[in-house]
Amino acid sequence: MSVKVEASAGGVPHNTVMIIGALIALVSLYIGIAGNYLLGIDWFAVFGGIAVIGALVWGNSTIKKLCSYGIGTGVPSAGMLAFGAGTAAFIAASAIFCGFAFGIWLVPILTLVLALILGLIFGWIANSVENMKIPVMTRSIAELSAVGAIALAGFALLATGGVDLLSISSAGFIGLDVGSSFLGAGIIAVGFMLGALALQHPFNACLGPGEKQDRTNMLALECGFLSMIVMAVISFVFVSPIAGWISLIVAVLGWIITYAKYVKLSKRDAAAWLDATPFEDKEE
Amino acid sequence: MSAIAAKPAADAGAFRPVASIIAIILAIVLVVIAYFLGNFNLLPGGGVFAIKTLGLIILGAALIAFGVHFVPVGGAPAAMGQAPGIATGVAMLATGAGLAGLFGGAWAAEFGLAVSLVGGAIGGGLMMAITCLMVNMSYVFGMGIPPASGKVEKDPLTGYTQPEFKSQGTEGHGLPFISYVGGVIGGLLGGLGGTLIYYELLEFYNAALPGAGFIFDFVPLSVGIAGIVAVGMFLVIAVLSAYNITGTIEGPHDPKFKRFPRAIVAAILASAACGLVAMLVVMIL
Repeated sequence: MSVKVEASAGGVPHNTVMIIGALIALVSLYIGIAGNYLLGIDWFAVFGGIAVIGALVWGNSTIKKLCSYGIGTGVPSAGMLAFGAGTAAFIAASAIFCGFAFGIWLVPILTLVLALILGLIFGWIANSVENMKIPVMTRSIAELSAVGAIALAGFALLATGGVDLLSISSAGFIGLDVGSSFLGAGIIAVGFMLGALALQHPFNACLGPGEKQDRTNMLALECGFLSMIVMAVISFVFVSPIAGWISLIVAVLGWIITYAKYVKLSKRDAAAWLDATPFEDKEE
Repeated sequence: MSAIAAKPAADAGAFRPVASIIAIILAIVLVVIAYFLGNFNLLPGGGVFAIKTLGLIILGAALIAFGVHFVPVGGAPAAMGQAPGIATGVAMLATGAGLAGLFGGAWAAEFGLAVSLVGGAIGGGLMMAITCLMVNMSYVFGMGIPPASGKVEKDPLTGYTQPEFKSQGTEGHGLPFISYVGGVIGGLLGGLGGTLIYYELLEFYNAALPGAGFIFDFVPLSVGIAGIVAVGMFLVIAVLSAYNITGTIEGPHDPKFKRFPRAIVAAILASAACGLVAMLVVMIL
């Protein structure tokens, strides 16, 4: 099983990417929480989207490391596992200290810790009980679970302006009932799929002999901003219109810039480039 | 990339007794933790209710892990007609069947456990039956290949011989009858397990949320949390079972099917951990 195919030889080491991604994600979450709970304005919801992007860059590097070994089930399964483990961890972390005033400040750290514990258990299961014998398996699954959980926290912050159970179970601004909330209306399921696809797509699309780290990372950023657009549109239900517009404009601008850069990098790495036009049926 | 490296090691299918025993012990420890959390009134409903909920979640997860092994997964080779099975990965396929079942069962949750479970099982089985039928239609009438198994000489159910229909250089192609039946059984078990997890979580949250300070209409909230956690747990179990299969399987007649005890052990520990964390959502501090 454990035949390694080297991906992105050279480039920034995984540990560096991991630390940068995790720092961006956690710091953004705390900036968003501080803005909403200390200053009392929800304009900082946009930092939830930045947290998602930081987590996705980290997770993308981890997936690259894990899937360099043939896991036999395809790259997408890793993204699904990550968010499956992250869901329970994030909801539990958002709820446990909900009754306390300081509870909101513990949510990001608790999310990270719970997800890492779950991920370590799952990784150990895959490696030892199921005999996969992949050296990086345990660590990678733990990292991926953390990425999934933090990305969900980011989506929650982006959509509702908060990460604790009260904000994600109340319909906030418009004043609808609990059935229209982030949890009650199942918007977390949208976040789940947006995040899982954005997590697994970049490496799945770029893998192969010509894979370059900067191009894959640019696609990860692009996928992050693309999911941010959807969640920013949803956020108009929960946050004030100004906060919603800030998130939406940042997401659209970010997506346009990263997409243009990604196309440029693809042209750089391609052996040849043909601007294809749609087929036209010619009379013969 | 995975196609190059997906050569299983010699003992890839071996059962690992020591690791399995450790996993079972860890799962029991987690159940005991749930019991004490319930007994000290940190979880609502008392210790026995916590054990019952976590126990049935583990049972549901074991059913899912067992069911995944029945589903004929072909992967990329099947898409090219070079291996039998449905042309996608285990995770996607089991998820499709399981979620169809879970949604079917969730709609019926108000009619009680039995109706809900039957609804979930039929939903999952129906989804797989339709998928298998349409896959075979496109194989036979679209790609022009007859269903033939590469792993057995005769179909165990119908007794039809297989090798003379198998193209040279392939491992078989299409969905033979045994794979079709396996797919439907897998869908039934997956839908049943997924619905069981959802139903138990829903009961638990319904009993717990009033105690956690939610006095308003909390039912949509418990439905939402139980639904997304059940979906997440289903995906974890399905992907771990997929790792156990390492890629493709033809159905219950495939030699890889004998690996299912490992996946059940894995599902027991994974669902105990995931289920305990999901129950912490309503922990009273």
